[in-house]
Amino acid sequence: MVEMERVKEKEVEKEVERKEIEREETIELCPECGSPRLIRDFRRGEFICQDCGLVIEDTYIDSGPEWRAFDSEQKEKRSRVGAPITYTIHDKGLSTIIDWSNKDYYGKSISIRNRAQLFRLRKWQRRIRISNATERNLAFALSELDRMASALGLPKAVRENAAVIYRKAVEDNLIRGRSIEGVVAAALYAACRQAGVPRTLDEIATYSRVDRKEIGRTYRFIARELGLKLMPTSPADYVPRFCASLNLSGDVQKKAIEIIKKAEEKELTSGRGPTGVAAAAIYIASILSGERRTQREVAEVAGVTEVTIRNRYKELAEKLGIEIIL
Amino acid sequence: MREYNIKIENVVASTQIGENIDLNKIAKEVKDAEYKPKQFPGLVLRTKEPKAAALVFRSGKVVCTGSKSVEDARRAVKQVVKIIKSLGIKVFDEPDVKVQNIVASADLGVDLNLNAIAIGLGLENIEYEPEQFPGLVYRLDNPRVVVLIFGSGKMVVTGGKEPEDAKRAVERISEELTALGLM
Repeated sequence: MVEMERVKEKEVEKEVERKEIEREETIELCPECGSPRLIRDFRRGEFICQDCGLVIEDTYIDSGPEWRAFDSEQKEKRSRVGAPITYTIHDKGLSTIIDWSNKDYYGKSISIRNRAQLFRLRKWQRRIRISNATERNLAFALSELDRMASALGLPKAVRENAAVIYRKAVEDNLIRGRSIEGVVAAALYAACRQAGVPRTLDEIATYSRVDRKEIGRTYRFIARELGLKLMPTSPADYVPRFCASLNLSGDVQKKAIEIIKKAEEKELTSGRGPTGVAAAAIYIASILSGERRTQREVAEVAGVTEVTIRNRYKELAEKLGIEIIL
Repeated sequence: MREYNIKIENVVASTQIGENIDLNKIAKEVKDAEYKPKQFPGLVLRTKEPKAAALVFRSGKVVCTGSKSVEDARRAVKQVVKIIKSLGIKVFDEPDVKVQNIVASADLGVDLNLNAIAIGLGLENIEYEPEQFPGLVYRLDNPRVVVLIFGSGKMVVTGGKEPEDAKRAVERISEELTALGLM
């Protein structure tokens, strides 16, 4: 009887656990500040808001695949084996390479006579990884993508997404007549926007061999052809990043986002560049909070001109009724 | 019915007026003609009344741009034919003028929220990148034109072949926006 009860108890526990996981999945906005930028820290087992730092859940259970197995039954349940596949490598990381150290399976060093042979094998192994022109294109493009993403400091999820977009573009023959670099930059730009962490075209262009105009054109083309339904970026998406570069406090950030929200409600952002609106909102917020930054400083970070900031700032201040004493 | 202030801004028409035209001769005899074969292979002839510009190519093809109506475009072509004929170059008398593109402007008269329109019309049908261009690009199938819609309510309709296309496009968009409650 006791046994039975215990089993039941365990089941109930599991049920609760499952519900908890489900509940966690549904949390998309921070309950404290309403930001959608929530992140899972797997090392600490915490579910954190990136904007206000609220720990929504701690010591949560990793529902990922089980790596350990103690008997044959568990072995069968194990969901994956080997390194996870990744789209950022042209063969999805599925092929093998011959190691560079001249050691055999037992750790003994390989005789000099066989070394030359091994060297040749290695060389051919490497060459065989890239089997045809499409693969070669992918290999080159994805290494370029990795280089740019590293330079821009983009997280893995974005790179993975960009790689998927690029692969789709290759499949649909959209690369024809466009430069690989241009399409890579456009894919990266699109992936950033999909992830809600938009980079400006200027930022992308500084790390690319292609100019801003070409990236924009290519982006529009692949977005149309692949049917990427991307919302126009909101100025609010740029605020955290710009504020961080300007060393502004969270208060300013909050205030700037508030201003942008109000401006969007009053339809002041329609047809205005999002970076310009973001820059003006940050400028106003910095003055209101007594952490004044000059127009030039804000302009530099946002990649717009001071004139743009002045224009947007006048508009915002006037229409939203914000009194500013300089 | 509301007035949208539709105005045709530019008509582009093309035609064939002859074969193997000697552009150098025209350049020499007509003093307003502009001909720089190094920069552009065509010869530019400007007419004052109606105000238009015609690009004459060696193959005998003529493209007339800048006129404000289809009738003006035809008149401009006729004038060009007359000028070239007077130089003793063999040309067709009644060239068949074909309208290639009509650009029109219009004004809905109200401020628009482009963000809401972008969502309302469906993100797959439109193109709206405020970072790159302040206008919203809407491609229509019938009439087959491209419309640029701006936050001020002004619009530019391009790609039409008939003067009616612009009007139909504006009316359709106005209907769609009214249905969405965005106007």
